[in-house]
Amino acid sequence: MSAVRAVRTMSPVRAVSPVAALQQALAAEDAAVYGYGVAGAHLSGASQATAQQYWTAHREARDTLAAMISALGATPVAALAYYDIPSAVTDAASAEALAAHLEDGVTAAYLDIVAVSSDRLRTFAALAMQDSAVRAAHWQGSTDAFPGLV
Amino acid sequence: MPGHLPRRRLLIASATALPLLLATAGCRSADLFAGPDPLGGRPPLAHGTVALEAAITAEAGLISRYQSVISGGGLDAGESSLIATLLAQHQDHLVRLRGRLVVPAGASASVAAQSPGTATATATATPTPAAPARIQHPIGTLRDAERQSADSLVRQLTGVEPALAQLFASIAASDATHAAALSALGTS
Repeated sequence: MSAVRAVRTMSPVRAVSPVAALQQALAAEDAAVYGYGVAGAHLSGASQATAQQYWTAHREARDTLAAMISALGATPVAALAYYDIPSAVTDAASAEALAAHLEDGVTAAYLDIVAVSSDRLRTFAALAMQDSAVRAAHWQGSTDAFPGLV
Repeated sequence: MPGHLPRRRLLIASATALPLLLATAGCRSADLFAGPDPLGGRPPLAHGTVALEAAITAEAGLISRYQSVISGGGLDAGESSLIATLLAQHQDHLVRLRGRLVVPAGASASVAAQSPGTATATATATPTPAAPARIQHPIGTLRDAERQSADSLVRQLTGVEPALAQLFASIAASDATHAAALSALGTS
């Protein structure tokens, strides 16, 4: 038989159930909603308006994820009262760095959903990744070759 | 001539006797042809391989577009800097995608080793947009190509293995950021 081209097998992606992956994304969105509240307090003008817009987007995404989890017969995990902030936010620069960090976390969480076998969930998560990657690039001022991948 | 069967009768007897001989030997004629059909050609590529080759082809096409815009000149310093950065990231995409393709010795290299600009589209590859009839700013054509690439990669997620789906989704997200950066360049 002729040798054929094939996809190189990679180390197995950590198996995640659809509900677990959605819960993880929900947790990332909750963290973003909280974190934008912190960052927004140190921003002004157009940056603050952008942060407000992105905060609203994360609230909407959180509600969408909660509804998807409920539709799968599970209970969405409630948001925490407090989230650790990776570094002190004292000015606009550190606020923007926090916002970029939050978006990176959201992108990585949606990437885990892409690993589940449901085509519908894959597409949903891939499109959500595009939104968060664009927001991260906005705050970073640069683009990334492989958003969400380490 | 006595003792000699006519050639025609010999052929008829052989054709009649062969199935009988096979039946008595416990063989079915199909058994003789079990295994790969040597005349059947190469087996079809797996869906994931087809999707990966399509992504490689599309990525090579994007790189060619960027190279054409750079060689066309007329960019200001800000445009040149951004386009060089985005081109480098597309080259990273191509390296990563090609790294996922296994090309055994003896198999056709196909898109795996072609230089950007020489790859031909496969059946499922979304061709990069044809040159529009009206003159469009090169930044705008790149932005549109980035959006189309992101959309195409998301469509390729169906049915591919998880790690490859994640690579496609990540590259699609990168392409989306490129489109946004190019749009911002156009409005700045």
